[in-house]
Amino acid sequence: MIRRHPIRSALVLLLVLLLAWAWPNRAHLAAFPDIIGAYTAKEYCSCRYVSGNPAAYCEGYVAQYVPISSLLDDESAKRVTASGLGRNHSAVWLGERQGCQLLPSK
Amino acid sequence: MSISLLRRLSLALGFSLAASNALAENWPQPDWQSQPRIESPALAELEQYAFPKRDDVERTGVRTDALLVIRDGQIVYERYAEPTTARTAHLTWSMAKSLLATTLGVAYAEGRFKLDAPAAQYYPAMAEHPQIKIGHLLNWASGLAWEEDYEYAPLKSSVVAMLYTRGRTDMAAFTAAHAADAAPGTRFRYSSGDSNVLAAALRGMVGEQAYADYPWTALFEPLGITSATWERDASGTFVASSYAYLSARDLARVGLLMQRGGRWGERQLLPAAWVGFVSTPFAGYQPQLAKSGDAVPGGHWWLNAELPGSTRPWPDAPADTIAALGHWGQGLYVMPQENLLVVRYADDRDGSFQHNDLLKRVRAAFAAEVQP
Repeated sequence: MIRRHPIRSALVLLLVLLLAWAWPNRAHLAAFPDIIGAYTAKEYCSCRYVSGNPAAYCEGYVAQYVPISSLLDDESAKRVTASGLGRNHSAVWLGERQGCQLLPSK
Repeated sequence: MSISLLRRLSLALGFSLAASNALAENWPQPDWQSQPRIESPALAELEQYAFPKRDDVERTGVRTDALLVIRDGQIVYERYAEPTTARTAHLTWSMAKSLLATTLGVAYAEGRFKLDAPAAQYYPAMAEHPQIKIGHLLNWASGLAWEEDYEYAPLKSSVVAMLYTRGRTDMAAFTAAHAADAAPGTRFRYSSGDSNVLAAALRGMVGEQAYADYPWTALFEPLGITSATWERDASGTFVASSYAYLSARDLARVGLLMQRGGRWGERQLLPAAWVGFVSTPFAGYQPQLAKSGDAVPGGHWWLNAELPGSTRPWPDAPADTIAALGHWGQGLYVMPQENLLVVRYADDRDGSFQHNDLLKRVRAAFAAEVQP
């Protein structure tokens, strides 16, 4: 088998190794795509509504090496929604002392 | 002369001495006083270091947002980089941990907890870890299997999961659910989780009713701090690891409190024993395992302590320097013997900035002349 299909065998081995690594890390992997949207929504909200910085500055401030697909700032509700890696997250400003908080993900 | 009269006289004398002592000191009551700026080559060098031409495209190099130097309780230097101003409540990141320690110091003065009491006594979710004591958490020595990595290793980072994904609704519970991989009190491992367990324990110490306003009533209001925001997770626990916001001038008030041994004016807000505990190196700390320039962990404060077999982390700063430090270059540095303190807010995205380089230049510009 290995001698007849060397490339296929190598790919199968790679897949087995990948799964062997992924299974114990499944909780980390499942949550990973959520990081960028949640990070962007929360830190943008605080940059804007706690520290009171201009929108253009906050956009640059939250930029990371993983790109986001959209950033929506509802200024009237002080609610920020960010999307990246296919996941949406929102943070909302609650008050002078409480600042911003991520909303439960849907 | 009767004894009672003598006692009254000596009491009065004592009080007037204490009052004149406090009068001779400068306090920011209500506001900081400023000394006029005096140009010098040392000041120019400090500014070249802290405020080089800012790279907002690649975000490389030293990127200071605010630099405030206080000597003898008065502002001797203050500069901001846009959009940060004197009124901006800037993110402190992990400097919030030292603010929590200071808040806990007031609770300690009120007799609300003991350092050697199990955390589970104040926070029942720690029942799985009955041996972890409040003092262990303050030394970042809980023994929990925590991974403190930031944006360059986000997959398995406990802190990223806590702040943004699996832990965000209840950060202390997320931490408490970690397994232990060392005996409590034996191993230093920097952990934002330990800080948030402490923040949850504070609720048990002071009660649900007082909790939401406690940092204000205990610490911020007595110090005249008006700019503070302290964000909470969805369970209402303060994000003590990361999310306090203050103006530079307000953060300097906490520095002055520490510089003067926990005393604010005539009020001993933090007991001397508390200040002693937080500024004592964790006994189990192994400096040979640290990177060069890494400060020594105390009780949720960082120390420039010279430990046996090791040089002090910041050779150009005094050995009694204590600091609150945060991600991306945030720093509050207190040098009690030199009556000097520094607040630095920043947005450093690479490793260019070095604490020692800053403190060396601040001291060259502002440390009082040593009498020959």
